[in-house]
Amino acid sequence: MADTHKEWLEQLEEQSKAKQESFMTGIAKKLGRSRVTEPPAHPFRGAPDFWRTFQWPLEERIERFTDHFKAAGGNVERLSNLEDVKAFVVKLAADMNARYIIRQQETELDSLGLEEALPEANLSVWNSDPTENWKARAAEADIGIVMADYAAAYTGSITVLSAARKGRSVSLLPTVLIAVIPLERLKTRLGEILVQFDERGREQLPAGIHFISGPSRSADIENDLTIGVHGPGIVYALLVG
Amino acid sequence: MKVSLFITCLSDAIYPRVGEAMVRLLAKYGVTLDFPDVQTCCGQPAYNSGYWKEARETAKTILHAFEDSDFVISPSGSCTGMIHHYPKLFEKEPEWLDRAERLKRKSYEFTQFLVQVLGVTDVGAVFPHKVTYHPSCHGSRLLGVKAEPMELMRHVKGMELVPLPFAEDCCGFGGTFAVKMADISGAMVAEKTDHVLETDAEVLVGLDMACLMNIAGHLRYRNEPVRVMHLAELLYEGVSR
Amino acid sequence: MSAGKAVVRPGTVKERADLALNDDFLRKAVRFTTERLRGGKQKAAAEHGNWDEWRERGRQIRLHTIAHLDYYLNLFADNARANGVHVHFAETDAEAVKLSLAIAERRQAKTVVKSKSMVTEELHLNAALDSIGVEAIETDLGEYIIQLAGETPSHIIIPAIHKNRYQIAELLSADAGEELLPDTTILAGYVRKKLREKFLEADIGMTGCNFAIAETGSMVLFENEGNARMVTTVPKTQITLMGMERIIPSWEDLEVMATLLPRSATGQKLTVYMSGITGPRREADQDGPEEMHIIIVDNGRSLQLGDPEFQELLNCIRCGACLNACPVYRHIGGHAYGGTYSGPIGAVLTPALQKNVAEWDDIANASSLCGACYEACPVKIPLHDMLVYLRRRKVESGHGNRMESAGMKGFAAVAGKATWFKGAIKLGQLGQKLVVRNGCIRIKAGPLKGWNSYRVTPSLPKQSFRDKWKTLSGEVQAEAMPLSAETRSRMEQLVREREKGGGGHGGHA
Repeated sequence: MADTHKEWLEQLEEQSKAKQESFMTGIAKKLGRSRVTEPPAHPFRGAPDFWRTFQWPLEERIERFTDHFKAAGGNVERLSNLEDVKAFVVKLAADMNARYIIRQQETELDSLGLEEALPEANLSVWNSDPTENWKARAAEADIGIVMADYAAAYTGSITVLSAARKGRSVSLLPTVLIAVIPLERLKTRLGEILVQFDERGREQLPAGIHFISGPSRSADIENDLTIGVHGPGIVYALLVG
Repeated sequence: MKVSLFITCLSDAIYPRVGEAMVRLLAKYGVTLDFPDVQTCCGQPAYNSGYWKEARETAKTILHAFEDSDFVISPSGSCTGMIHHYPKLFEKEPEWLDRAERLKRKSYEFTQFLVQVLGVTDVGAVFPHKVTYHPSCHGSRLLGVKAEPMELMRHVKGMELVPLPFAEDCCGFGGTFAVKMADISGAMVAEKTDHVLETDAEVLVGLDMACLMNIAGHLRYRNEPVRVMHLAELLYEGVSR
Repeated sequence: MSAGKAVVRPGTVKERADLALNDDFLRKAVRFTTERLRGGKQKAAAEHGNWDEWRERGRQIRLHTIAHLDYYLNLFADNARANGVHVHFAETDAEAVKLSLAIAERRQAKTVVKSKSMVTEELHLNAALDSIGVEAIETDLGEYIIQLAGETPSHIIIPAIHKNRYQIAELLSADAGEELLPDTTILAGYVRKKLREKFLEADIGMTGCNFAIAETGSMVLFENEGNARMVTTVPKTQITLMGMERIIPSWEDLEVMATLLPRSATGQKLTVYMSGITGPRREADQDGPEEMHIIIVDNGRSLQLGDPEFQELLNCIRCGACLNACPVYRHIGGHAYGGTYSGPIGAVLTPALQKNVAEWDDIANASSLCGACYEACPVKIPLHDMLVYLRRRKVESGHGNRMESAGMKGFAAVAGKATWFKGAIKLGQLGQKLVVRNGCIRIKAGPLKGWNSYRVTPSLPKQSFRDKWKTLSGEVQAEAMPLSAETRSRMEQLVREREKGGGGHGGHA
């Protein structure tokens, strides 16, 4: 019996590695051949060829993203610069009477100066103090503010990647989510974003990659659409540029 | 050029008028059908129930009957579809497998032959009635016979073709399924019949007497006076006016 | 919470179907939802365009991955481990349960929050956790409802498809200890509030896995509610149970799956959330699990490997489109199938995952073989053919129905010889005299009992087609037109092409 949790995990790992060998040998045997250990040629990798060159010009990307995101129940605003973003957030927070706001620790969001503009609200910045319970801060927040790493017009999706300064909870636990999307990050297809993760390679991937395509929803009761089941029920996508 | 009629059990024993309509209609295009009377059943009841040994015995009579034919025409997408299963049925008997492949390539469902081979889409029929069409599953899904009957019906003068709601849904026949799972099958044919009645059509037309016998049987059970016909009958009646 | 209360159901698919057929509400509820989902799927597929090319692409990716499963699964395991995941392998359901319980005990877990996972349903993991005093809480709205009801999911995607809002309001009111109105917003609002607390206090988050990306060791989840994100973000430990066939090679391949899965399941362009999780939280991260386990489960899946008739079953991406398209499912609902998986995929998967042929009930018979499942399937699994193969295997292994076997032998004897076949028709023409009234047969006894309970059978005409042939042939010969030169040459061309191996004119492979 292992003494510490770490030792126990190590024991499990040893068993797992042995089992992995027998598992793979078993699969190869059932497939009627010896183990494949070299990468096989994969002639069908990814989307069909006709799809790979498909591109919308910027204005159409904006239009389609807006249509699709709205159709899913989200809100979209087209803004010219970060000044406008600031004004929009300040007004929304005031209108909603938001008391707790949480945002990611990112340069663009730092530059908004929301702390000074919203003196009444309790505004916290993700992981600005490593000793704080940040999940609890996100859970109590009325509004969470994030920068989108990418967006895809075809599906109406925003992509957010996790990092020390970018919590997964910020786009998940607050009642309202605001995602700021610089226009140069808005792609046409999902595949343009996904392929970048292959290119980065395993070691460079963050723990969490999340595609968000509107407010949380469910149709589990009589196929009747309900918005805001577990995640944010109100989502704003702010297209900037 | 030897063009043979594969009459199928149901048209042979119960609906000879369907075979007759096919024979007389094709004669107008210079195709005098040959009828090898050593033919029996395609073997589908045994095949579908898992009795492949028995299905092979039956299939051999068909392979034998149409050995010398250049084209084999049937009034049923399902029975022609069964011939498409012959290569699988004989996959372990090379001497029969080759004959099975050959028969598969020369077998046509009636409208397939008319449209694809003879190039006929307008037989010059007049049929001044309100008609709805049930596309049988095996013909439309497994043989891909979708456009051919539509083309033929589009050219029938005076005929009002009303779309059947949920047309592509199975009528519930399924061969032995209708006997083994009689209550499920009964629920399915009742629903199909409801949809037929919703159209207010005088005539229900199709390409497979098994499905049509099923729906006609339920229409009769409910005392509904909708006339049920094979498309070959309708076209022949339409040119014989 | 009663975790996985056993529900006793009748033994045969026929008996279970009868229960459903007599439950008018259930039939209406299932029909209503499947029709909407089916319509949504058709619309989404048409809107996207080139649907068959995408299906074919999806099929090829799945075929390729399964054909090299030892390579890709091994790669996935190595990469996930390099990401810091504790990877485990379970050949059987018992092993998978044992591993899950051992982790829960080690973590001294009191509660486990779960997002939707069909694999854990297969393993009856909730009951197992309950047996060691760990509370397992389903957090998908539909799953939470059926867990309260002590039932199992009756649809892969919409677990509570068979319940209406009044039944749901009753269940949730009992849970809340106060009366909740049967209003979707109120009911969902209650569950949000209740489960929010559970997410924040749970020790373990447990998930299934839609896809696992071999090249980076990432696992991908598709969902709409956000509960799967909760489960993988908030608790300190994450356990993912994954079927060994869930692999795809790359993120690029995920684009194809992300195109096919949501459209086929619900008609959405993409589910509200698609999350790719690559290992536990990084050192400096403030959320995500500190410890992450992935248990790779076989439990009968590898039985399909190397079996040319069933290997494609492993291509399934669990979208539920075949359930929504199936006319049988629509009438009998999911519970009539008697296994974890229902509908056409369940009718094949349930027996296929079990070794013992003798124990299969007649589930494979609950299909009219109409092929709607194949047509709806985003990766083109020929389920209708597989159902026939299952029936054949049962017969070949000597577990066929004795009456039916005798009948089929008789059928082959008659249909194997034209003279006997003619004789049989003759016999029918004579024999029916006893039962024919006004040109039809209404007797509800003997072999026609089930059939005639819903239909009137036509009588056989005096002359069969072959009886008429001679006369007919003579008449036609006399009046036939000549075959045009153009048609003749086209026909000759077709015959020549056929001899060269061509001559395809529709029909599936």
